[in-house]
Amino acid sequence: MRLPDRLAIGDLLGTATIVALGLFALFLLVAPSVIVLIISFDTRAFVSFPPQGFTFDWYLRVFEQRVLVEAMLNSLQVGITVTLLCIILGVPTALVCVRGQFRGTTALSIFVLIPHMVPGIVLGVAVLFAAAAIGVSPSIGLQSISITVFVLAVMVRTLMSRLQRMDPALEEAAANLGASPFQTLRTVTFPLLMPAILAGAVFTFIEGFDNISVAIFTHGFRDRPLPVELLALVQTTNTPLVAAVSGVQIVLAIVALILVASSIGLDGVND
Amino acid sequence: MTLARDLSLASAADAAQVLRIDKVSKRFGTFTVLDDCSIDVSEGEIVTLLGSSGCGKTTLLRCIAGFLTPEKGAILIDGRNTIPVPVNRRPVGVVFQSYALFPHLTVEGNVAYGLKMHGVPRREIARRVADALASVSLRGFETRYPSQLSGGQQQRVAIARVLVLEPRVLLLDEPFNALDAKLRGTMQVELRELIKRLGMTAIFVTHDQEEALTLSDRIAVMRGGRIEQVAPPDEIFDRPATAYVADFIGLSNFIPAEVRDGKVTLPDGQTLATEAQGPVRVMIRPHNLRAIPQGPGPWQGQVRFQRNVGPLIEYTITAGQSDMHVVALRRDRIRPWGEGDAVSLEVIDPEFCKVYPEA
Ligand SMILES: Nc1ncnc2c1ncn2[C@@H]1O[C@H](COP(=O)(O)OP(=O)(O)OP(=O)(O)O)[C@@H](O)[C@H]1O
Ligand SMILES: [Mg+2]
Repeated sequence: MRLPDRLAIGDLLGTATIVALGLFALFLLVAPSVIVLIISFDTRAFVSFPPQGFTFDWYLRVFEQRVLVEAMLNSLQVGITVTLLCIILGVPTALVCVRGQFRGTTALSIFVLIPHMVPGIVLGVAVLFAAAAIGVSPSIGLQSISITVFVLAVMVRTLMSRLQRMDPALEEAAANLGASPFQTLRTVTFPLLMPAILAGAVFTFIEGFDNISVAIFTHGFRDRPLPVELLALVQTTNTPLVAAVSGVQIVLAIVALILVASSIGLDGVND
Repeated sequence: MTLARDLSLASAADAAQVLRIDKVSKRFGTFTVLDDCSIDVSEGEIVTLLGSSGCGKTTLLRCIAGFLTPEKGAILIDGRNTIPVPVNRRPVGVVFQSYALFPHLTVEGNVAYGLKMHGVPRREIARRVADALASVSLRGFETRYPSQLSGGQQQRVAIARVLVLEPRVLLLDEPFNALDAKLRGTMQVELRELIKRLGMTAIFVTHDQEEALTLSDRIAVMRGGRIEQVAPPDEIFDRPATAYVADFIGLSNFIPAEVRDGKVTLPDGQTLATEAQGPVRVMIRPHNLRAIPQGPGPWQGQVRFQRNVGPLIEYTITAGQSDMHVVALRRDRIRPWGEGDAVSLEVIDPEFCKVYPEA
């Protein structure tokens, strides 16, 4: 039998290292969620690992507690509002940043990024003070707007990268075939942007649903969003109920991703 | 002012003239990309813009389509100045180098797109799309998406998509670039036949001279934003207007010479009448040279390299300081010269040589 030469051994080691690192990264990404999910089915009334027994009770309890259900509905409302606002504001912004023919488009695209670079807590405090100064009190609306400001960059960046990779000849072809600028936008640019819009929508929705750093300062006094409620819960109880609430959020995120991935393909999400 | 003159000229002088490019200049910043370009194209004619990379071919095409606005000059279609006409109102169809098919529309959707934008009734759209697809032999592909087509099929969709609108002028920017060499040859002939059958007026852009010779009724050779010569292929080849054109199209030999008494003396002793003066360059095509057994003639050389190209034999013959290209027809009974053979050179027909002023 011939021994593989040095190069082949080197290759083998290199490949093994990369695979091992990859598996480790995957473990780091998945393990916390898996552990939370496992704990949420525990029969004991305190958080501990490994669990003993299996029950759906905690999930039923989540939906029995009015506070938690209302918090979920609040978060859902914020998530949807943030997503819609990001689409309405993000599409024109991205179009201007990429296709704009005037000076300052680069400045604008950086400007949109700034709120996302500022720590969420700082942004939250800033919004709270600013709102107080003009006599606006925290509410679902204020929370939605401030999270929109926070995550608009994600939507704009996603759309911009799609626009930049779009063959400019497509829009020229539309014009050459008789389409007015608006018709070109409606029949060519928008349909081709759709996968990126959906991908951006997933991320902005999830951010709107479970952001806490901005939300904790801007949410309405009576309208607590789920993450804030969860934080309060963790501070007062040590039952797997907390894990079950997290479980609901994990499942929601997975469902959202699967929905979008199946309608536009994974490539679209990767945009 | 020029417009008025052009309008009267266009209507009076040549009714069949479809496109007139009149002294068009275009700059990007301080860089002049098009410099005083003029071409007239008549009904049903195919003109190619030929030139090396970066000479402004695409820019001129984009000016005609309306994607760019020239600083100077006019572009007239059927005698009407199109410069103020927006892109989507110009009677011009563009086939893009990348084809630019809409990936989210089917073949049928792509071809119907322009008709929809022009508000053509549904019935008529269906009929015209079917006709257009038939004319490019793409019946049966209606429901496919562009990504499900081969390069050649995509090209035909791109052509059908503009043909269906019956534009006055068809503009094609290197439409064969994305095709492999073999398909390219057949598509060139097919496309020329299709355009001729429909009686369309077309402008092709290419940097491939063989493609230009295959496709065109006339070739416009461009160089650094200027048009060097516009003429039919054989005239471009046989009577190139400038040394640049001679050098660009086909293989040429250039020999420095001096004009005396209105005549140049070729290295083999023959003379050629010319109107040029002072130091000149004489262009001799390789097939206008003959290598003969070494004799007392004044032009002696040695075969440095020879190769067979099908029916032809190409020689490189070192004569004095320079290498001369010579092409001979292969014939059974004549033994070709071998490398190292000593030969004499002579010009077959001095009238076929061209004299250019020394650059
Ligand atoms: N938008 C632009 N801004 C500045 N310069 C440009 C622009 N577009 C083209 N140019 C320059 O103009 C010149 C002509 O470009 P053009 O695309 O017309 O060349 P071409 O003849 O089509 O070349 P090729 O055969 O490589 O396609 C080039 O030197 C190019 O760098
Ligand atoms: Mg080009």
